Amino acid sequence: MIQSQVSVIFNAVSHRYGGREVFTGVNASVQSGQTAVVSGSNGSGKSTLLKIAAGLLSAKSGDVDIHIDGRLCNQMERRRDIGYLSPDLSLYGELTAAENLQFFANMQGIHLTKIDLTHTLTKVGLQGRGRDLVRAYSSGMRQRLKYAYALLGNPRILLLDEPTANLDTAGVELVENIVAEHTRRADGCLTILATNEPREMNWGDQHIVLKAAE
Amino acid sequence: MPTLQPDKIISKNLSEKNGSDYESIKSLPVPPLQGAAWKWSCGLLMAYVIYGAFFIANGAVGFGKTGNPARIVFFHVPSAILSSVCYVIGTIYAVSYLWKSPKAEIDIRSSIAMELGFVFCILATVTGSIFAGAQWGSFWNWDPREISIVIMLLLYASYLVLRGAITDDWEKRARLCAVYAIVALIPAQFLIWVVPRIPAVASLHPTNVLVKPSGTSMSYKEVLYPAFIAFTMLYIWMTQLRIRAWNLTQSSISRKARA
Amino acid sequence: MGRPAHRIESRRVIEAKELEIAPKTHNFFSHGILAEAVSLLKKDLLAEIRTRVAICAVGVFAFSALLLIGLATASLKDTQTISTLSGISRPAWDATSKMSLLWVLLCFAAFAGLAHTFVHEEEAGTVLALRMNAAPESIYFGKFAFNMILLSGVAVCVTPVYVLLTQMPTGSIGLFVLLMGSGCFGLAGTATIIGAIAAKAGGSGALFGAIGLPLLVVFLMLLMNASSTLFTVDAAPVRCVRDIGGLLSYGILIAAVSVLTFKFVWED
Repeated sequence: MIQSQVSVIFNAVSHRYGGREVFTGVNASVQSGQTAVVSGSNGSGKSTLLKIAAGLLSAKSGDVDIHIDGRLCNQMERRRDIGYLSPDLSLYGELTAAENLQFFANMQGIHLTKIDLTHTLTKVGLQGRGRDLVRAYSSGMRQRLKYAYALLGNPRILLLDEPTANLDTAGVELVENIVAEHTRRADGCLTILATNEPREMNWGDQHIVLKAAE
Repeated sequence: MPTLQPDKIISKNLSEKNGSDYESIKSLPVPPLQGAAWKWSCGLLMAYVIYGAFFIANGAVGFGKTGNPARIVFFHVPSAILSSVCYVIGTIYAVSYLWKSPKAEIDIRSSIAMELGFVFCILATVTGSIFAGAQWGSFWNWDPREISIVIMLLLYASYLVLRGAITDDWEKRARLCAVYAIVALIPAQFLIWVVPRIPAVASLHPTNVLVKPSGTSMSYKEVLYPAFIAFTMLYIWMTQLRIRAWNLTQSSISRKARA
Repeated sequence: MGRPAHRIESRRVIEAKELEIAPKTHNFFSHGILAEAVSLLKKDLLAEIRTRVAICAVGVFAFSALLLIGLATASLKDTQTISTLSGISRPAWDATSKMSLLWVLLCFAAFAGLAHTFVHEEEAGTVLALRMNAAPESIYFGKFAFNMILLSGVAVCVTPVYVLLTQMPTGSIGLFVLLMGSGCFGLAGTATIIGAIAAKAGGSGALFGAIGLPLLVVFLMLLMNASSTLFTVDAAPVRCVRDIGGLLSYGILIAAVSVLTFKFVWED
């Protein structure tokens, strides 16, 4: 048995909103080099599960343990090692793409030079659009910019909620590359996707299927 | 495989971390009396206080021609004191909700203290205003104590407004209301400790009359001290009643949800 | 498992952040809270300069209210007196009344626009990204500083006009500035935590005012007390320290309690 560098373990996670059960007793364990896919019908709690993993929401019972290099991370620490992307998360419309990235880099304590910025934007296919206000972006471009945001600081864990929402064919290919490349990184990384798209479900080597509680 | 020991998973807290929506709250076990005994003894004592206020206590010198307005003290002072005590109780529950045990029960207890505090605050304001009308010739004088009671009234009201405004998630409501109660404790404390000491606003209210040995006559003490006990008992009984009412609403909601 | 047909040439664009084994502690003085609060403040100021939503709300409100107050009080003379309960007669429209009216105006102006900074994050959906990237304390300090700057800016513009309009004396100018500063501090502190609560509760401006203004009554009383000291000629220094200190301590207490409780408002 090899020691996994990064692992995300779901221990009997349950959640409910008000009195309505969303899911109960989700158990799973995702290791370095794996891509897990969370699927389930609408309202089955895919996004909620990812939010709990990201530490943005605390589960009503059970918990999600994240080990990084053998150390258990608490809710605040884990956020620095997680790249999280979701339809609920938006970037600042009144700032330009470059300013957005610069702001979040500052918040994470990363020094981001102009060259870094250009490279990051080029990587997600937004070259030359860094000076435009995000408000003026199309929804597909916003999704691409969210990838630039999520990959800031090379997080070890990627949590992608609806990874290809609003993206064109080239965008979907880009995401596929990002996921494949991230999961195979030498320092041990993993990806968790929440999706119902058959194509994206193929990317995963582990499946977590959520059933809506009656 | 990850670096976790199997026994760690087993010891994981699978039971409820946070209180559920539909948990019933135990009534306060308040010794030495249980159940209906509170209701009856509170009622008897209150009857004595009402009788005593009019027939045992004499009219006081300096309160109108007859001294009768002074009789308001038996109802006004206990409710005024209770209204600030309730706020402190509500805030203690709020602190314990945030830092100690985030359970629905604690949140509901906090809100019950606030609701009852609001009721006593209204009583204190109304009785005080009636007294001011009889004694000082005007129902409202901008006396510091009058200002502080009306601010307390506003603070209670806005706490309840905030509670009413959040309907989607009881945990969010509990957290936000607890934070609001703690923040609003600062003006409430300033009201008690700082404002009466502001020299510019001299109070019409007597200060320290109740603590000074010569402050009140014997016939007043005979009624006033039982009045404090009666109002405290009334508060405890009302809390128990409110908890029972809450439990009944919850069980009817869960019955509807099951149906 | 589907593999990409051709991989886009990519290089590691950002130097991998040094992996921190020790838990990162948030310390106000080292990188952490202060640095995060400053970047948040810069971001907010930049966005505010572009959109001018909050400054318009607060500024236009303050100036319209100024005009209304000016009109309503135009006929009041300094010579008119009212008699108080204790039998002393005092001028009806004295410096302290003028000062309190100025602060009533500023309180309402603050409650017209200071929740915007939180409401906007909540409505635009940027709150998740912010929560992922910063400690709650940094958010509080950043937003508090932003509100403080906004409010001080409005106060600096409104006060001279108000002084001219009502012929309010200013007393000792140093003390006057200190009093206005302490007032803005307390008001911004209250508006920040209440704004956060109101934004989270999903209510709009109505809730913000309803739960915030009652907290300001005591604050206004302390302010009136401090300003009556300010306008007393040759007030004893002890009295100045006590009264303005009382006002300042209110703001400091509110800010301290807010820092302690803010994480419960900010996190889900």
